[in-house]
Amino acid sequence: MSNIISLFRTLFAPPRHLILLLAALWVGLYLSEKRVERHSISQDALNNIVYYGILGYVIGGRVLFVLANLSVFIRSPLSIFSFNLDLFDPLGALFTGLLAVTAYARRQKLLLWSTLDALTPLFAAIAVGLALSHLAAGTAFGSPTTLPWGIELWNATRHPTQIYELIAALLAFGFIWFRKTDSPIDSDFLLFAALMAGARLFLEAFRGDSTLIFGGIRLAQVIAWMVLAIVLFASESIHRVERID
Amino acid sequence: MQPTQRRIISLVILIFGFAWIFVSADKSGESTFGKIPAPQQGFLAPDFELKTLTGETTKLSDLRGQAVLVNLWATWCPPCRAEMQTIETIYQEYKDRGFTVLAVNMTYQDTPLDIMPFVHEHGLTFPILLDETGEMANAYQLKSLPSSFFINREGIINEVVIGGPMAEALLRTRIEEILR
Repeated sequence: MSNIISLFRTLFAPPRHLILLLAALWVGLYLSEKRVERHSISQDALNNIVYYGILGYVIGGRVLFVLANLSVFIRSPLSIFSFNLDLFDPLGALFTGLLAVTAYARRQKLLLWSTLDALTPLFAAIAVGLALSHLAAGTAFGSPTTLPWGIELWNATRHPTQIYELIAALLAFGFIWFRKTDSPIDSDFLLFAALMAGARLFLEAFRGDSTLIFGGIRLAQVIAWMVLAIVLFASESIHRVERID
Repeated sequence: MQPTQRRIISLVILIFGFAWIFVSADKSGESTFGKIPAPQQGFLAPDFELKTLTGETTKLSDLRGQAVLVNLWATWCPPCRAEMQTIETIYQEYKDRGFTVLAVNMTYQDTPLDIMPFVHEHGLTFPILLDETGEMANAYQLKSLPSSFFINREGIINEVVIGGPMAEALLRTRIEEILR
């Protein structure tokens, strides 16, 4: 097992680990397209929303990084067009990506839940790709352990948190893909969000790189718990509206 | 499922989740970051002692208190060649603020006779170290050339950049961070 992981890590060592994310994006989009007729959204609209999201993410990430480090870029303006992927603001990119998607969805008058449900296979595939890229790059690593399934990483035997993450993502994907329901209130997206938030809440406990707040509490767990609470509340609200109707 | 049943299950999930946050809190109050040397962001930079081109010895841990860029390179590697001039420019700009560059040549997989002409051709003034056995490359788990490690004044790796050539802005933003 450790030989397979080692081979995988060599094959997809950074920056090649990004291939895994691109492959996940491609597979996810293909799977979302296959299920698009179940939701009130056309295949063109689905493709466009992903296209604008990626465009907003890539351009926004670089522009916001440049703005945050303006004095540096004034001295070397050509760096704005550099191929260095590290000249990027990932959180800002997420914001601009969402902004582009929201602008397109509003313009096309797309329904929020239908659009999110149509995109859920894509989100699930990205979660799988992200776990694989973490494994390849050795990021999102676990805390030291003496358990027999621990893996050698960064000069210690650690919880294979990337593999835990991969299993959780695959299970969430399988659960979403193979469940049988036609009820409009059983949102694929909300179920996926609940499963992933629950997985993060549980698995973060085994991470060795957690950001800690007071009392050794892990910040990611607090955020995951809040997401879980919001999702359960949203699900309950949808059920209530359905009952009133 | 009945609405009441669903609400109870949701509540139970949230209570157990909330309890898990406290049960699984890291009692030591710190993550494993920085505890052990490893070539990864957040960890202590693995120490090494290598000979320079002029025959002196340089040890990374002796530079504690300075911001260090450890750059792994070889003469045959095109992106390494492309970024050397930029590194030299940046080194000249920041060296008086407590910044240094350790350019470690992968001598065990390079042609030793090519190194000196390369250094003269690019006018490099920062220390050039020679990894003749591959021991340093092994400690830094080298997978691609060039590989750059930005190490702060406490000896912690702040950023790892695999591949190149690095843009001037990338070098400046990362160096400003490790000088803080």
